[in-house]
Amino acid sequence: MNIIYKRDLLAYFRTPVGYVFMGVFLTLSGLIFYLYNLQNLSGDLLTFLSQLTLLVMLLCPLLTMRLICEERQKRTDQLILTSPVALGSVVTGKYLAAATVMLLTILLTNVYTLIIALCGRVYMGEWFVGYLGFSLQSLAFLALDLFVTCFAKNQMTGAIAAFGANFLLWMADLLADHLPVAWMSECLNFVSLYERYEPFRLGQLSYSGILFFVSFIACCLVAATRVMDARRFSEGGAA
Amino acid sequence: MIEIQNVSRRYGSVQALTNVSLKVEQGSVLGLLGQNGAGKTTLLNILTGYLAPTEGRVLIDGCDPLLEPAQAKRYLGYLPEHPPLYDEMTVREYLMFAAELKGVEKRAIRAHVDEVMELTGLTAMRSRMLGHLSKGYRQRAGMAQALCGDPDVLVLDEPTVGLDPMQITEIRGLIRTLGKGRTIVFSSHILSEVQQLCDHVVILDSGVIRLDAPLQSVGEKDEITLLVTIAAAESSIVSKLRQLDGVRRVTVQPTAHVDQTTALVTFYRQNEPERRLFGLLSNLGMPLLHLSRVEDTLEQVFMNAVSGGGKTR
Repeated sequence: MNIIYKRDLLAYFRTPVGYVFMGVFLTLSGLIFYLYNLQNLSGDLLTFLSQLTLLVMLLCPLLTMRLICEERQKRTDQLILTSPVALGSVVTGKYLAAATVMLLTILLTNVYTLIIALCGRVYMGEWFVGYLGFSLQSLAFLALDLFVTCFAKNQMTGAIAAFGANFLLWMADLLADHLPVAWMSECLNFVSLYERYEPFRLGQLSYSGILFFVSFIACCLVAATRVMDARRFSEGGAA
Repeated sequence: MIEIQNVSRRYGSVQALTNVSLKVEQGSVLGLLGQNGAGKTTLLNILTGYLAPTEGRVLIDGCDPLLEPAQAKRYLGYLPEHPPLYDEMTVREYLMFAAELKGVEKRAIRAHVDEVMELTGLTAMRSRMLGHLSKGYRQRAGMAQALCGDPDVLVLDEPTVGLDPMQITEIRGLIRTLGKGRTIVFSSHILSEVQQLCDHVVILDSGVIRLDAPLQSVGEKDEITLLVTIAAAESSIVSKLRQLDGVRRVTVQPTAHVDQTTALVTFYRQNEPERRLFGLLSNLGMPLLHLSRVEDTLEQVFMNAVSGGGKTR
């Protein structure tokens, strides 16, 4: 796992992908900070973070689209999948590499926290809960996107499918309100990432939310491993 | 060392392999011949555990790559048709990655990679990005990653395809060197290459094995055919040739000279055909103008196998 993690992390910074992701994320988050916090003279960190969710949904596929699809397109997966490394380790290593880039980017958004701290006051509890919830939600999107891209044959379709899946899970609760069947509404509400993030957005430390996000990530990674394994049997060959 | 048991593989409605069975002994070099689309790459992908067979199984030193991947793949080094290279890595970084992936001990990795680079002639290119290498060096880098971990079995899928003649010679030399002490399975559609490098040949056609035989025995038959040109009219010699002891058949070939006869004379193998023929002609006082043995080349065997369709073992 460690070797896959190191290689994929290196690849993010040897190619423009890592820089483009971080650059675009930080530029747009800076713009949101300027428009929402600076223009309104607001020190509300939690709302600022919740507004970054849209950026995560948009940009997450950029990080995950290359992990599986590029390997398949360039046939470099033949090296990994014919080596004595467990498939689960390959998927986890790749996920952790993308997660590192994501967390590093989130860490850099603390420049805005610093600005708020210089001009006003930052409550550490609020800061901790806000960043914890936002990070967990972002990592959940990342895991979902990794799983979705396992089905795609090329990077572009992988990215579009991942983007669609992000929106679907983000808006699941809205859809749930319009479903006539109660259990279906409950199911959609259960998997809605928005619903799960809501307590963190309000500054509440939600243990059930933490458990949900961690379980969600684990399920996505296990499912991605199963999909990659199943591709050996399916038409067109393994991942 | 390698056992492929009744392996079949379907891609949707397309049957890529049908009931393929073969054994590769330890230390032998097996050449997998076949036209494009014959199923060579599919078979190699199944052999390395990259693909799963629809039916049947593969055993590498008794381990199934699907059921015991870690153990089975430890024996394997695979160079696919397109070398699996990460363009953003340097040659050295890539080989260190491959070595770690293959389970080489951390403290031994540097020395091992240096050794592999030396063997494949990549030492001078160690700091170059893989994306900047020429086709020949990319192939060498692919070969080098297959050698990482010092595998007992090397699987090479058309290792010389797309290379210039000089590079082909170099890669063949490398395979010859690597063949000492290792089991090598390699696919090719170049017959001369298989003839030069292999001691066992398998011909695959439309996913079915048409020939599975040691290279020495390819073309070996229970009869010997001589091509002869004799300075005598056809009417005076052909009947005598047919009556000669040990002759199975005589096929007269067209010739421009009425006073010469060219024929294919087929003898049973146990007889000494040249001695008998010389004896007959010297008794008849007929000069022999040409004499040569007609051997089946691998090319002929290949053409017969892929057009005939019958399985030969």
